[in-house]
Amino acid sequence: MPDPIVDVHQLRKTYRSLSLTGRRRIDAVRGVSLQAFPGEVFGLLGPNGAGKTTLIKMLLGVVKPSGGHARLLGQPIGSSAARSRVGYLPESLRVDRHHSARSALRYYGRMSGMTAAEIHSRSDELLKLVGLEGRDRESVRRFSKGMYQRLGLAQALLHDPDLLVLDEPTDGLDPVGRNEVRKVIDRLRDSGKTIFLNSHILQEVEMVCTRVAILAKGEIKAIGPIDELAHRDQQKLIVEVPGDVEPDWQAIFGDSITVDIESTRVREAFRLSIAVVDQDQINAIVDQLRRNDQSIARLEVRRESLEETFMRLVGTDSVEEVVGEEAAGEEVLS
Amino acid sequence: MIKPYLAVIADSFHSALSSRILWIAMVAIWIFLAALAPIGYHEDYTTTFRWFDLDNGTQMKAMLARGLVDPEESETALGRLARTFPEDIKRKLRQVARGEDVRIDKGALADSLNESLDNEDWYDAEAWRTTVRLRELRELDEIPDDEISEPERRRRARLRIEAALPGVFTAMSARSITLSYAGFDFPAFFLIGKEQFVSLINQFVVPIMMDWLLGFALIFLGILVTASIIPDMLQPGSLHLLLSKPISRTMLLLSKFIGGCAFVFLCVSQLVIGLWLISGFRLDIWNARVLWCIPVAVFLFAVFFSVSLLAGLRWRSPILSIGVTCMFGAFVLVIGLIGGYFDALVRAPDRISQLSFDGQDIVIATRGGELKRFDSESNQWADVIEGDFRRRDLIVPPVRIAPGKIATARIRGGRFNLYGSGSLDLLVLDRSKDWKPNPGLRLPNGTRRLLVVGNRLIALNNTGLMATTIQQVLDESGIEDDEPDQTSDDRTTDSGTDSEAEDGSPDIEVSNIGVTAWITDLIRMQGGATEAFRVILPKGVTLTDPVRLDVLPDGRSLVVYARGRLMRLELPGGGGGGGGDDAQGATATLAADLMLDDNDAARATMAAAGRSVLLARDDEPVRWYQADSLALLAEFPSPDDQTVVAAEGLGATDRFALLTTDGSVRVATRSGDRVEWVTLPQSEVTAIKYDQQSGRLAIAHHIDSIDFAAIGPDATASVTIERAVRPSLTSWRSVDRYVITPLRTLTPQTGELSQTVAALVSGKTSFAIGDVANDEQEVVQLKIVRPVVSCSLFLAVMLTLSCVYFARRDF
Repeated sequence: MPDPIVDVHQLRKTYRSLSLTGRRRIDAVRGVSLQAFPGEVFGLLGPNGAGKTTLIKMLLGVVKPSGGHARLLGQPIGSSAARSRVGYLPESLRVDRHHSARSALRYYGRMSGMTAAEIHSRSDELLKLVGLEGRDRESVRRFSKGMYQRLGLAQALLHDPDLLVLDEPTDGLDPVGRNEVRKVIDRLRDSGKTIFLNSHILQEVEMVCTRVAILAKGEIKAIGPIDELAHRDQQKLIVEVPGDVEPDWQAIFGDSITVDIESTRVREAFRLSIAVVDQDQINAIVDQLRRNDQSIARLEVRRESLEETFMRLVGTDSVEEVVGEEAAGEEVLS
Repeated sequence: MIKPYLAVIADSFHSALSSRILWIAMVAIWIFLAALAPIGYHEDYTTTFRWFDLDNGTQMKAMLARGLVDPEESETALGRLARTFPEDIKRKLRQVARGEDVRIDKGALADSLNESLDNEDWYDAEAWRTTVRLRELRELDEIPDDEISEPERRRRARLRIEAALPGVFTAMSARSITLSYAGFDFPAFFLIGKEQFVSLINQFVVPIMMDWLLGFALIFLGILVTASIIPDMLQPGSLHLLLSKPISRTMLLLSKFIGGCAFVFLCVSQLVIGLWLISGFRLDIWNARVLWCIPVAVFLFAVFFSVSLLAGLRWRSPILSIGVTCMFGAFVLVIGLIGGYFDALVRAPDRISQLSFDGQDIVIATRGGELKRFDSESNQWADVIEGDFRRRDLIVPPVRIAPGKIATARIRGGRFNLYGSGSLDLLVLDRSKDWKPNPGLRLPNGTRRLLVVGNRLIALNNTGLMATTIQQVLDESGIEDDEPDQTSDDRTTDSGTDSEAEDGSPDIEVSNIGVTAWITDLIRMQGGATEAFRVILPKGVTLTDPVRLDVLPDGRSLVVYARGRLMRLELPGGGGGGGGDDAQGATATLAADLMLDDNDAARATMAAAGRSVLLARDDEPVRWYQADSLALLAEFPSPDDQTVVAAEGLGATDRFALLTTDGSVRVATRSGDRVEWVTLPQSEVTAIKYDQQSGRLAIAHHIDSIDFAAIGPDATASVTIERAVRPSLTSWRSVDRYVITPLRTLTPQTGELSQTVAALVSGKTSFAIGDVANDEQEVVQLKIVRPVVSCSLFLAVMLTLSCVYFARRDF
């Protein structure tokens, strides 16, 4: 097992404030532990106010943890050494209005300690990569949100970081743009970069992430490969049997196979949704149908989706409870 | 690694350059500079008379009236000149001659004189032969009429008029410049000498520009523009990205701060460099020190920006940042104003300007026009003559005339007009009468200095020197009697005595003898001899300002400096009380005479000690002369490039104490042609006086404290403080010390940074201002270090607070 690129142990963050109504204490992150390994695209999922952004801020040294410890690329979080090897795309990137895409890259490149020559050569390459080629000398005042995101992605990649922290990277992009970003992420993963992705869009995470962590109320609810997060006992066998008259399913399956059958009429067939546990059970169901001269028009084994897993783990009540927590955190600071 | 921070600073410059407000400000600056560019000047002889050139209006009226009505003056220079005036002025002058109180507009007199410059029919070489002609006039007189240029002719005419009316005009440099704009001359009252003009620019115009143009307008504009820098940086999409970079938060904030100063730097640089180029190309003043305005203005902005920075970090709102910074500016302004008022109304009036001693008793004159004595029982200064702030009375420096007797005088409104309002009585303070002032002899009008030489009391005014005997002074004041006589008591009353004094018996007697009495009155009015005081100046000697005089320790010789002429006068009858009444009015003899080159109108300080005379003229080396022959023994540069404002001879020791504009006292000792000096430990010294009786040098410092120092006989001038006067604070002075001063110390003195600029630009840390004829010259000490230290400390505190807040806070 290689050393983790992101190594978090029991990281906590508590905001405290004094107001006219008394003392307030908000536990934004409550003992989170996770690891992301080299070459991995690690997704961080959670509802609003789950503590995702606070966790990322702590990893980047923007916010100081109240407890626990973490390391990035083997260096303590917040250290200059750790930050120098991290590329960060913030949510809602804001670039000063006097910049063009090229001058912004020059500025952020110098902030990362790059030489003028390095910045120049990398800028051309990255502007092409993110699709801003030809508009690089245009004032950012005229940029759309999507163009800002592309510029943000370019600046995050500028100093060729080992770890990319992307906060809502496809936010504001059209479908084509999202697809392009996904391709960039795939390419970066293929080149061995580690990507720490924070996104609301579950489908996007499902498509690009190798592992995810689901965060709710400041705690990790689940962590691992997406496939492993789905409940095994929640898979269903979908069978479509053509015919005009619905067969007697009890007679077909008898007592030998105990199944919960949901039958619906779909076009000119009857769709059976049967909760199954393993492959033997599937085989037995197929054998019984064929043995009773029933045709099988369609057969599908459907596992639990990430969205279903997310909703199962997080639940709607928790969303309501924690929503606005980060906003409250901001209030604490002000 | 500094590269990321340089990137932040450079980015701030780019940001500033892209600001529309910057470009608007720049265009405004360019328009301002373009408007200034046509300014120019030309240097010419000083010819035209201005109303403020007429230093002594009362004296002038009297002289002209006398010239008009006195038959003996009809063919003199005075008489010939008086007749050139227009009829309405001549009518008023005749009224003056009749003793009527007539006001004649100085502007009208100046206009009449200016007309006389063009038509010199009034001139007669024979008549002017008896006048005292300055070297410049003598040289111009030698130029044949067909070779003299028109400006030279007008200059010569002016000098002839000045020679006919000695003592009337303010000393002016021979050449002066006239400012012009696009080829048109400015109004005449802008006429000043080139050196004065440079001083004016450096010491007044630049500080005013610093205060208002740079210190107010640009700083306010800068705050408006930069107030959003920090709130913008704190926007999540911007800040989080910046903080994710491998840079220090503290350095990031400081870089932003430095970058924020870019706006003001860009504006101020253009303005100051533009002004420097205009003053160089158009006025021939290539003073690169003006460029000091750039860093000082940026520093001043940094002080205010540090407040905006902290407010921006705390509240993340540009509006609140601007509001808080404006409130801070208002607070600083109010503290500065209160401090200024305390300086002007509490500290300055109490400052000792003149000292006199009698044994352990001390009598002082203050800048506020008060006469005080030290009451050792209460350890406070007790009023002898109270000052009146509105009238700005002038106290003639008190002198000890006899044991327990000190003489002085109060010229009512003397700060505005040396001839005051009403007659001038000698006041004799008597220890046996608790130093109560007793009016005595009538002093010659315009007396500004009293000296005791042997048994004589000498009065100096614009007309010259007049003497009386001390015995007569004492007799007339009536203070020898145990019971003061009624007349003296009546005249002791401070207010309302003017008319009574004028109605005194001597006037009644004079008025009874007809026309001669008019003339006698006119002579008195113009400051001539009185019944008791008789002229002692030898014929051919006229004292033209600047005048300084001192007494040699032999007790019978006077050293006089008058407008470039150094003289030693010997009084007849020997020294030390030998003359008796016979000596009264006896004319002195001119024992030695020396004409000095260079700027004879320069302010001068002079002192006599042992057999030496020391003369210090502004912007010239200090010169040491042998008293008998007035031979130059040594000359040396003014200590630390400071201007000497007072000098005291240390008795018969051939050494001098010099008070310089920086408030230090130096004791100068000569060895051959080398002069060495030792600086005494006292600071903020306002006056020095050598006490002949005790042989100690009294040093007044820190407003109203006095040290009596015995100076060792050797060249190292070891100093022993034998007596120290430390008066208790009055109530307002206590408020000043314990409330106002700490408040001013804790508040950054941004307003005083203009003084720092004045010092940097002029290259002088202190200078003296005021009329050269008046001993009451004002010393201005520019505060250079205090505002810089005060503002630096404030800046350091604000930046530290900001950095700590930014580094520790979660964003």
